[in-house]
Amino acid sequence: MDSPPALREPSQRVSPRARLMWTVEALAQAVVLAIVPVVLVGPVDVLDIPWWAWVLLGLVLAAYVAVVPRWRYLVHRWEVTDTAVYTQTGWWTRERRIAPMSRIQTVDHVEGALSRLFGLATVTVTTASAAGALAIAGLDKDVARRLVDELTIKADAVEGDAT
Amino acid sequence: MTQPDLSAYPPPEAGPELRREAEWQRLDPRMLLVHPIREVIRFLPVLVVFVLARTAAGGEQWQLLGVAFPIALGLLRYLTTSFRIAAGRIELRRGLLNRHVLSTPVDRVRTVDLTSSPIHRLLGLTKLRIGTGTASTSDEDRIDLDGLPLDRARALREELLHTSTTDDEVATAAPERDVVTFDPAWVRFAPLTGSGVVIGAAALGAASQLLQAVGFFERLSPEQLDVPGVSLVLLIPLLVLAFVVLISLLSIGGYVVTNWGFRLTRTRSATWHLTRGLFTTRETTLDDDRVAGVTLSEPLGLRLARGARLSAIVTGLDKSQQGSSALVPPAPRTVVERAAREVLDTPVPVDTPLVAHGPLAARRRWTRALLPALVPAVACVVAVLLGEPSWLLAGLVTLPVAALLARDRVRSLGHALAAGHVVARSGSVVRRRRILEVDHVIGWNFQSTWFQRRAGLATLVATTAGGNQAVAVLDVPEDEAVRVAGAALPELIGQFTGTSR
Repeated sequence: MDSPPALREPSQRVSPRARLMWTVEALAQAVVLAIVPVVLVGPVDVLDIPWWAWVLLGLVLAAYVAVVPRWRYLVHRWEVTDTAVYTQTGWWTRERRIAPMSRIQTVDHVEGALSRLFGLATVTVTTASAAGALAIAGLDKDVARRLVDELTIKADAVEGDAT
Repeated sequence: MTQPDLSAYPPPEAGPELRREAEWQRLDPRMLLVHPIREVIRFLPVLVVFVLARTAAGGEQWQLLGVAFPIALGLLRYLTTSFRIAAGRIELRRGLLNRHVLSTPVDRVRTVDLTSSPIHRLLGLTKLRIGTGTASTSDEDRIDLDGLPLDRARALREELLHTSTTDDEVATAAPERDVVTFDPAWVRFAPLTGSGVVIGAAALGAASQLLQAVGFFERLSPEQLDVPGVSLVLLIPLLVLAFVVLISLLSIGGYVVTNWGFRLTRTRSATWHLTRGLFTTRETTLDDDRVAGVTLSEPLGLRLARGARLSAIVTGLDKSQQGSSALVPPAPRTVVERAAREVLDTPVPVDTPLVAHGPLAARRRWTRALLPALVPAVACVVAVLLGEPSWLLAGLVTLPVAALLARDRVRSLGHALAAGHVVARSGSVVRRRRILEVDHVIGWNFQSTWFQRRAGLATLVATTAGGNQAVAVLDVPEDEAVRVAGAALPELIGQFTGTSR
């Protein structure tokens, strides 16, 4: 192998509704971030912020809400083969994780309060290493269910004691 | 892996110790001496109060009670603690009011540590701690057989670890031999490690607190410091020198107390065996199958003195239990490397030349070191230009320091895949060469920030079940990262490479 082929992206995208969920999440974060200076300037009155700083803050937060969820959606991908799980997550920092089926210890299916509103779920696959958990967020609820079943069967079928 | 038949336990081939231990039994009666002494020490403040009270009140019974209570407590502890090894499980009962029964299967035993405090040693006893790799760190959940005769504890350890290893070849392995033995000249490395300095500084801090409490500093005035014939210019360097000498002595003391008589031994049952300690001796045993790799650390001071230290990456022991994974204390680099070759059973990963990460990774080291240093430097220059005193220009010293740091980090950076081991080296203030056996690599993570992606770099992380849970290859070119990961685990990575990206 002189020049190996590059790692390709995982084949599956997460549910498009994840974009909306992440937007709501980002909006909530932006509101919390904006409240801090508003309170400090308004009721508490310990801080004086010039008008251009307000504009700047508003622009940054608006950009965060507008761009990051879409960016996240473009990055988040996953793939399950007979022998491995492959995920890609993040936005600024992109993280690709590959774990062999034979090393899977647990498969978690979590529906958070927000994700339930959108009919989404997160599937987390853990291995014996604390640094090696693979989480796929923003999956359609039914897809996530099927994925958990599929993973459980496949992990069972592979030899080994997962350590 | 065959499960032991628990109904017929102990198996006929089990050693004499395991068979003897099948009945509930107490620890060594000599602990009746150890417990009261320990309780008396623990109750010392109370006892002092008692003695003072006696002189005030004149009652003789008080004094008696003060001594009787710790003794009774020790007796109770002895009478309420018992253990047995039966049906493939180690069971420990203890407690008077809260009965505790701890139980673990014999084949889960991962480490067996023997610790002997000076009192234990005087009586020929030791405390046997059984490590099962549990995540619980509570003292309540530890299986400690506190107070066994030393030779019996050693025999028990041998059999426990023998039962937990499933290899049959174990018994026929090479005879026991010492791999590393302590050399008193090693204490010269003690002041050069971060931990040595921290210990020294902590002791010094405590001393200055004490001086503060008794009002030493209030009474100290510059006039008194004016020793005739010695100017202040000379006095300050002298004080600094005294400080350095003091910290060095304290760290040497700490090193000697923990590491005196250090010995790393390869036992007949294919385990690694560590002995050390001046007053309290510790014997740690590591199962070979669980040693996933080693970390060779060189803090800057040690590196300049051609020293290093070695620790093992042990499956099932995480960060919080690192105490039992240290393999060689600060020692000459040659000794540490020799030990690493022995433990890994191959010299290649230790000696192999590392692949450098290229100019883009080097540029990242430079920007990441210089940009943070630029902030205080610029701030100092601006402050001086605005009329602050000119000695603030000394802040510019951050720039050359950062440059040196960056250059050293670039030189440290490297990786290799050799003889079935992943090797990664990085760092400057603490340079670490991490060596992980490929069989112990669970999966691969590829991390890259936007900046890294623009430079075509990624941080390749091998996840594992021991030590820090991961070995990271910092800022490696993307295609090299894929090549290394693929060469280590071809079937795993191969299915995700090719076509589009």
